[in-house]
Amino acid sequence: MEAPLTPMEYTIATLRKCVFLAGLDESVLAVMASKIEPLLIETGKTIVTKGDTGSTMYIIIAGVAKVHDDGVTLATLKSGDVFGEMAVLDSEVRSASVTTECESLLLCISRDVFYDALSTEPGAFKAVIHSVLQGKRGLISEIKARSLRLLSYQKEMEIGRRIQADFLPKSVPDLEGWEIASCFEAARDVAGDFYDVFRLTSSSHLAIVIGDVCDKGVGAALFMTLFRSLIRASSLYGCIGSTLVDAGSETAANSAEGVLMNSMHTTNRYIATTHAGSSMFASVFFGLLDTQTGEMSYVNAGHEAPIIFRKNGKTEMLAITGGVAGLFPAANFEVETTTLNKGDLIFTYSDGVNEAKNTAGHQFGEERILKAATPEGDDVENFLCSMLDAIHRFRGDADQSDDITMLALKYLELDETG
Amino acid sequence: MTTLNISVEQAQGRVPVTVLGVEGDIDAATHKTLQDKASEVIEAGSTHILLDLGGVEYMGSAGFRAIHAIANMLNDEPSPGLAKSGYLKLLNPTDAVARVIKTLGFDVYLDIYQDREDAVSSF
Repeated sequence: MEAPLTPMEYTIATLRKCVFLAGLDESVLAVMASKIEPLLIETGKTIVTKGDTGSTMYIIIAGVAKVHDDGVTLATLKSGDVFGEMAVLDSEVRSASVTTECESLLLCISRDVFYDALSTEPGAFKAVIHSVLQGKRGLISEIKARSLRLLSYQKEMEIGRRIQADFLPKSVPDLEGWEIASCFEAARDVAGDFYDVFRLTSSSHLAIVIGDVCDKGVGAALFMTLFRSLIRASSLYGCIGSTLVDAGSETAANSAEGVLMNSMHTTNRYIATTHAGSSMFASVFFGLLDTQTGEMSYVNAGHEAPIIFRKNGKTEMLAITGGVAGLFPAANFEVETTTLNKGDLIFTYSDGVNEAKNTAGHQFGEERILKAATPEGDDVENFLCSMLDAIHRFRGDADQSDDITMLALKYLELDETG
Repeated sequence: MTTLNISVEQAQGRVPVTVLGVEGDIDAATHKTLQDKASEVIEAGSTHILLDLGGVEYMGSAGFRAIHAIANMLNDEPSPGLAKSGYLKLLNPTDAVARVIKTLGFDVYLDIYQDREDAVSSF
């Protein structure tokens, strides 16, 4: 049986385990060991504080400590790990804080002790430089690996965005007597705006949908595809069996009101029950426009009120007729109707428009929308371009924080249809 | 970083009601504080919660998601036929918050009271 290590031998063995000192001769480690004592540190004590200038490095003999910065734990250190080693080499401030997680036994090596020990052996500095460079090389390859992982995430995110864009219509229907235009400007971060324009197969109605899923990020993007698909599928292909709601069955299932009711209730009930735990919701404006008469039935589920610019210069807001969709299975959505006359333009938009912020933090707001609107004369494409220009000018150098989605329709007068 | 302060008081109506007094903005950064506090009192036995929003100047969509999650936690067996939650009610929202509540239609699903006594005895 081997004899137990003396305290001095134990300290030397601990120093040797430290990669930073591993290249040093036994004699140098012995000099260092003769000048240091293990220190017992209580639980929760911050040994190194970010921003302080330090001149001591530490080796954990026993115990656990966490490296943290702004409340985020960067690493957990345990027996044999070293921290603060850069401080014995130069006088830079500490880059993070280190706090003990439990009672811990540490070796503390001051800059003076370190250099005194190194000066006893001519090759010692070379060995330390070699260790530092080794550490640096390890760090560089770790950073490289992380950058590659980040690039692959970014690529995945880009693919996700492209797939999400596929859930928006590639073109809008070409209808005689009507001009339709849309505009979608994505924010840098993935968000959950959506819009849709499609013809019902069972009538002369045109469906106009614009919506915004709460929050941002991948979750909002996933729910955007769900809301958009459910609304389109339930309006085009009807509602199956028991999901046909009572409110809808009072009206003919394929009347505009019936289709709206069925579609909104099916979509809402599906998400509110199947995805109840996600608490995700969307504001939705859904209008069914009879393109022969200009009559439009609509549901506004908590969405920014679309604006009708009448030919005579007056404006009309299509206020909400119910709460947002996706949260409460028993939600009720009222159907309202309005009529568009020749020369009228309807403008629907998401909150990326009215809540666009400039560098001073002010919002674009409804008043600026009304001021920037050019409903008369110009075609609808130009109407949206002018609106987008006005938002860009207002925003200036401020970041775009949310998707901008706009959809506009104009009921052409005879001379405009050519 | 914004912080959310939440006080917890017990009130007695026909049933015991836990009053959560919220102060601060309920946004993406703070909504979890509210959700966690509600979860904590529900685990400790609260079955009826009155959310006092008198000290909330701003509530974003994350706040509404938190309120929905709390309503779900209280409704053990969600009844699709029941429009309003009988277990979670709102008290005294500021004008700004009341406007958003109405826009999002939360007033359709949750009772809102201006007076604390009325609210407590309504459960």
